[in-house]
Amino acid sequence: MRRPIRIPELGGARVVILHRPHPNVQALIRQLAAIGLQVSQSWPELGAEVIGADYVIFDADMGHDGMFPWSAGQPPMPMIALIGSEAPGRIEWALRTGAHAQLLKPVGDNGAYSALLIARDAFDAQKALFAEIADLKKRLDGRQTLVRAVTLLAARGKTEEQAYDQLRQMAMAWRISFEEAAARIVASRDDTDPDGRKSQDG
Amino acid sequence: MLYSRSGSYSLISEACRAGALAAIAELNADPALDLAFLPVERDPAGNVDHYGPLCEEILRETSARHVIGCVTSSSRKEVIPTLERFGGTLWYAVPYEGFEASDHVVYTHACPNQHLLPLLDWAMPAYGRRVYLTGSNYIWGWEMNRLARERVTQAGGEIAGERYLPIGSRDVGRMIEEIQASQPGFILNALIGPSSYEFLAAYAELGRRDDRFLPGRCPVLSCNMTECELPALGAAAEGLVAAGPYFRGLKGWPGNARFGSSHEAAAYVAMRELARLLAGRPGAETISLSQLLADDRAPGIIDPETHHTRLPAIIARVEGGVFHQLFKRDDVAGDPYLTRTALSPVKPSLRVVS
Repeated sequence: MRRPIRIPELGGARVVILHRPHPNVQALIRQLAAIGLQVSQSWPELGAEVIGADYVIFDADMGHDGMFPWSAGQPPMPMIALIGSEAPGRIEWALRTGAHAQLLKPVGDNGAYSALLIARDAFDAQKALFAEIADLKKRLDGRQTLVRAVTLLAARGKTEEQAYDQLRQMAMAWRISFEEAAARIVASRDDTDPDGRKSQDG
Repeated sequence: MLYSRSGSYSLISEACRAGALAAIAELNADPALDLAFLPVERDPAGNVDHYGPLCEEILRETSARHVIGCVTSSSRKEVIPTLERFGGTLWYAVPYEGFEASDHVVYTHACPNQHLLPLLDWAMPAYGRRVYLTGSNYIWGWEMNRLARERVTQAGGEIAGERYLPIGSRDVGRMIEEIQASQPGFILNALIGPSSYEFLAAYAELGRRDDRFLPGRCPVLSCNMTECELPALGAAAEGLVAAGPYFRGLKGWPGNARFGSSHEAAAYVAMRELARLLAGRPGAETISLSQLLADDRAPGIIDPETHHTRLPAIIARVEGGVFHQLFKRDDVAGDPYLTRTALSPVKPSLRVVS
């Protein structure tokens, strides 16, 4: 299952370069301005404007933890690493920081456009995957609840299949998901004492 | 000068070369100018692998720092690393597919916001929104058709078919069959050289057999067809519609409209602009393009951010062997990444109200 590739709207998009002033940065700014982005430069720490940035390009050579106002590896926008020294430790750090694409130094005449597109696509793919994983996790956690709910309903003299069917009908009647219906059954059971009466002390 | 004197696109490179040489002759005869051009020529003979080495030969063995040349995008991509290494500049005078803004290239012909997009915006209301896409198997064909697909589907249209041929192939039978079967409203032709000539001849033949494919009902549209290739087409060119910044005889270009084609005109303009940047500045011939532009006080034709130029979009049709203007949109700046252009067509009557 592959998502369709989206060519991002780059006109007027904001990019922050986290790198000390350097001819590499000048070459990069030239490329980014030609593409049509609004560029700002920050060093040694990201300014407040980064929150509204659409892309961050950061120095992988002199960068360090704590430069970014978010948890390591969880940037809210696509990140591109500017790599000079291809030492494994530095690449490891750039990856841990959350790089979605890279540009090699010295920066010349090209490379920025493809890095922006690849970073955007990797970021979108990562976001979609994280959302899917979170959803699957929730459903996995819900399975235990489901088993308990079916067992509870079956305890009233039904077969497992009939209990399952009843749960499905309840979910439909309440217009909620199967998992949510199961959670309701289990919760209502937990709230009642073994005789089926509502407990007084909560 | 790095133009192929032979090979599949030699008609175009000869037109560019003629425009550049015309400008050089004129500039060298101008007593008011304190410079003269000495052309150094290398001929890659239509072989994409000869461009890089020959460009390096020019920059390494001579003092020339400005190269005018290249026709295909593949050849342009081949010379850019060499230009970077030696601090040279390429003046590129043919239409291309955009998505480039090299610090070492000046683009004096049109990119898609100056040819393809106005052409499609003009064609869809006139011929409907079902489009058949053809192209040669390289970056020009692929990217032009990708953009066309995006523009057409955004406008609610559909792609009736899409087929490519290797550069130089004359195997157009399948395309013609598909066009006949799918009945598009118009055809976008991003083929080059002999493939294009063969296709246009076969399509004209189809029109004679089946009047649904006469140019008046289902025309072939092109963004790179100019007068310089009409001799190769003969009568098959009749009814062909093309977009370009200039057609023979149209006013508004330097040189009093005496150029045979927009390729010639764009190469001529490139040499004139280079002369203007160098004139009155002893030693300027070794200065980098970015420095020349940074120091330039006069309003030049080159956008300092993108190195593209402002151009009109003219749509013209071949009638009696001559292009006749159908539509003209005023000059707009080249927008190679389409980041300054609305991607969906905007009606000209809309204005920003502040």
